[in-house]
Order: sequence, then structure tokens, then C-alpha cells
Amino acid sequence: MTAILKREFRSSFSGMMGWLLTAFLTAASALYFFANNLSFGLTDFGYYTLYQTVFVLLVYVPVLAMRSFAEEKHSRTDQLLLTSPVSVWGIVLGKYLAMCAVFALPCLADGVLIVVLRALGSTNTALLSNFSSLLCYYLLGCAAIAICEFLSSLTENQIIAAVLGFGALLLTYLMPGLQSLFNAGSVVALVAFTVLAAAASLGAGLRSRSFTLGCFLFAALAVGIAVLFTVRSAWLTEAFSSVLGALALFSPFEDFVNGSFSIPALVYYISAAGLFLFFTAQGIEKRRWN
Amino acid sequence: MIEVSHLTREYSGRPAVSDLSFTVEDGQVYGLLGPNGAGKSTIMNIITGYLAATSGTVTVDGHPLPEEADAAKACIGYLPETPPLYPEMTVQEYLTFAAELKGVKRAERTAQVEKAARRTGLTEVMPRLIRNLSKGYRQRVGIAQALLGHPKVIILDEPTVGLDPAQVIEIRRLIRELGQGHTVIFSSHILSEVQAVCTRVLILSHGHLVAEGTPQELSAQLGPHGVLHATALGSWSAVAAAVRRVKGIQSVEMESEENGEVAFTARSASGEDLRAAVSQALAAAGCAVLNLTAETLSLEDIFLELTEPEEAETDNQETTGEEE
Repeated sequence: MTAILKREFRSSFSGMMGWLLTAFLTAASALYFFANNLSFGLTDFGYYTLYQTVFVLLVYVPVLAMRSFAEEKHSRTDQLLLTSPVSVWGIVLGKYLAMCAVFALPCLADGVLIVVLRALGSTNTALLSNFSSLLCYYLLGCAAIAICEFLSSLTENQIIAAVLGFGALLLTYLMPGLQSLFNAGSVVALVAFTVLAAAASLGAGLRSRSFTLGCFLFAALAVGIAVLFTVRSAWLTEAFSSVLGALALFSPFEDFVNGSFSIPALVYYISAAGLFLFFTAQGIEKRRWN
Repeated sequence: MIEVSHLTREYSGRPAVSDLSFTVEDGQVYGLLGPNGAGKSTIMNIITGYLAATSGTVTVDGHPLPEEADAAKACIGYLPETPPLYPEMTVQEYLTFAAELKGVKRAERTAQVEKAARRTGLTEVMPRLIRNLSKGYRQRVGIAQALLGHPKVIILDEPTVGLDPAQVIEIRRLIRELGQGHTVIFSSHILSEVQAVCTRVLILSHGHLVAEGTPQELSAQLGPHGVLHATALGSWSAVAAAVRRVKGIQSVEMESEENGEVAFTARSASGEDLRAAVSQALAAAGCAVLNLTAETLSLEDIFLELTEPEEAETDNQETTGEEE
């Protein structure tokens, strides 16, 4: 695993990409730092710099992670990794930690900016709050990296991996807005759950090559949803809204920005990263079979 | 060393390898021979743990796949069809990375990398970027990578494809040399190569194992052949009459007749070796025998005989290639 980690990290900086990405993110932070924190004398680095520039991650992370598996598959170097005595988990983690290390560099630069604020006279409380925001920002980025690494493992084409990653992150970024849109009524929730049930039944039907099974599954699910809708329509709306809420990757970060240290937010990011790394490992394992 | 039994692998329902069983013994050089699309790469990818088998079992040095995959993979050095190289690394960096990946201890790493580079003739290009190397050198880097970590088995998938003749000879010499310390399996569709390098041959056709043995055994396996080529002094009529009188001869055909020398081919009905009887008959008829040889099958004949009938039937599928 350490061999892969070291190689990945070095190869990020053997070309332009690593330098360019680091410069890009640092420049974005520095710009907002000067425009907000320095010009107006604001000590809240978390809100005025990190939260304002968080959208930059929508581009940074997909580009950082697009190469991870897509390029290996394209140039067939995955054969070297997968036939070496390293477990699939070792490969997935090695690549992931290397990307997290690359992402740590601009975060270190942010750390320096926070120290600069302290030197310019911010309070110790502000310093702590700024650093805890930075920690959450870093974990948010790491969770996004896991999502994009998973997407990269699905395709052989780096560009497709980047576009998929951007699309997925954009969706999670816009999710709070979408959520309020769907909160309008339980009918929307009914439709959404019915579509989900149809998709699940179609998948099950195709997977088992049985038309009857698919139909029965859909019928059962539809009856369940209909009963819920008539008896407890509020449940349906809440369930739908909480599912959407869980997909809003960028929302828990707001807790930190508002000055509170939120353990659930940290747990959320770490488990999101773990979940997608698990998916990545499973996906690679599955590829051996078909 | 490697045991493969009832191995089947399908790509979305289409079998690439079906019900294949064979055993690889220690210290031999195995040639996996077959036309394109016969399933050679698939078999190698399964043995090295890159692909999983649809059914059947593979055991490498006592470690079953995929349960003890890591232990099995540690016994194998593998050069896939496309050498798995990172173009942005130098040869030195790449080989050091590969050694670390294979779990070579830090203290031995430099020595092993140097040794592998020396054996494959890479010492001079060590500081160069892989991106800038020629195809021959890239292939050698791929082989050097397979040697790291002292694997018991070295598997090379078509190691000589795309190389110039001098490089091909060099790689063959290297394979023979590797055969002294390791078990080597390599695939090829070039017959002369297999004949020159291997101690045992496995012939594949459409995912089936059609023959196995040493090159000599394979010649014998096809049974008595009973064809002899001869040149004798005398007229064609006299020679033909004398040969036809030999018991067991089925046909005699003239190849050429010039300067009083007749060259002909005789075939025995049962496939029996009739050289002695033919030479005695010719001597008795007063025709001196200048040359008399029994025809032996070359690997090429065996190969064509074993793979061709099927190939003609399914010629259309042949273009789909062996990977998916």
C-alpha cells in the first residue's frame, strides 16, 4: 500500500497536474482571504474564505481523482497492481490516501493564512474555530475524493470520470435547494418513490432474467407505497426529505462554519468516504468476474 | 507448481476457455501455443489472479485461487500482453516501485533491481523516462519487473511480439536462461519460437487443450506416419516397380528425375516404417540408394493438424479477438 501511495503522490507532481491543482485551490483561498478577511478585518476564516470557496472543490476534486483508476485501466497498468501481492483494499486505500495527501497541501496553505490572522490580532477562540472549520473542510474534500475515485473506477476514460464526478458533486451541492423544491407536497414524494421502486424492480427483473419477478416486486412495492401514502402521507414526505438530506454532502460543513464543532458532521464525512471506498473495492473485485 | 482443473471462463456467456485441465511441473519451460483467440491470455490472466474463473479451480504452489490469492500472487512474476508501464517514471523508479509492490525488503531492493536490470540488459537506460524508450526496451522493462521478488513461476504473455529479429533472439535466450532457475510459462503463436525454447508444449484451440507434451512426444503422439522420401540411381520405371513390390507399400510418387537419379515419396498403408525393406528391394533391383529418410512431423504440422479443422468452421468468429 505504501508503495502505491508514494508512487501516486510522486506521479501527481511529476506532471503539471498536481502543481496546477494546488496553485488553483491556493489562489482561490488567497483571493477570498485578501478580499474578505484582510480588507474588512474579519477574523472568521471558515465562513469568509472556506465556505465561500467551497464550490471550487466541484472542479478541483473531480480533476484530482479522474486519473486514479480510469488511467490505470486505460493503459493496462492495473494488471501490475492486481497481480501483485497487494489486496484490492490496499490498492484503493493507497490511491485514496495519496489524493488526500495532495489535497492536504492547499489546506496547509490555508492553515498558514489562519496563523497569519492570529498574528494580525485575532483571538484564540477565532483561531480554534478557524482550525476546526479547516478540519471539516478537509474531511469534506476527502469524502468528495472518495466519491470521485469510485466514479473513476467505473470507466476507462478520464474525461468521463471527471464529468461524472463534477455532475455528482454538483448534485450534492445543489441538494439543499432541490430538497426544498420537493418538500412542496407528498405527491412529489409518492412519484419519486414510485420511480425508485420501478427502477429497483427493473434492475431485479433484468438481474434475475425473470419478467414475473420484476412485475411482482414492483406490484408489492407500489402497494406498500400507496398504503403509506393514504395512511401516513407525512412519513413519506419526511423519509424522502431525509434521504435527500443525507445526499447533501456540503450541508454538514455549515455547522462548522457557524462556529460550532459538530461531531455528527465529522462522522458523516468519514462514513461517506468509507462507504465509497468500499464501493470502489467491491467494483474492482467484481470486474474480475465479468 | 500450478494445477488447473476443469477451468472454464466465459465473457458474457461466450466461453473463452472451457473445461481446461493441466499441471505445470517445476523447473520446466512451458509454451502455450495457439492461434489468436484461443484463450492464451485468458488462462494467464486467471493463473495470475487478474481474472476470476467462471468455474473450476486453480492452485499455485499449493495456494488455491482466489482464497489465498496474495500468497499465490507472491509466487508469480507476470508480464501481460501490454507491459504495464508508467510512462512518466524512469526505469529505475519504476523497477524500485515494482520491487516494493512485490514486498521486496528495503535492504534487498537496490540489489534486486540492479540484478534484474543486468539480466535484461537495461543497465544503461536506468535513468531514462519509460516514455522515451523503444518498444524493445519497454518489453525488457516489463520482463525485468516480472523477475523482481524471486518468483518461482514467471509468466510471459507473447513476450516477443513486435520486436525486431535481433531482439527476438535475445529474449529467447533470456527465456532459456530463466528456465534454469524458474518455472517459465510463455505464450506465443510463433511455432519456431516454442520449438526453440520450450521443454513442454500445451496447444490450445478455441479454449480447449488439444495436445500436451514435449515437442518430440507431440510428434510421436500423432502416430506412425509411414511416409519416406528417397533418392535412388536408375530409371523411374525400375525404381517404382521395385518399391511397389515391397510388402505394405500403398503408393509411390515421383518427385523428380534427372541425371539418372530418381527422387520419390513412398507411403505405407499401415504407417509402418519400411525404410529397411525399401532399401533392400532397391538394392536387389540394382538401384543404388543415395538418400532415404522417414518424414517426421514438425511442430508446425502438428499445430496445423490440431487447430485447423476447427478453425475453418468458425473462421468468422476469429476476428473477435481473445479479450472480451
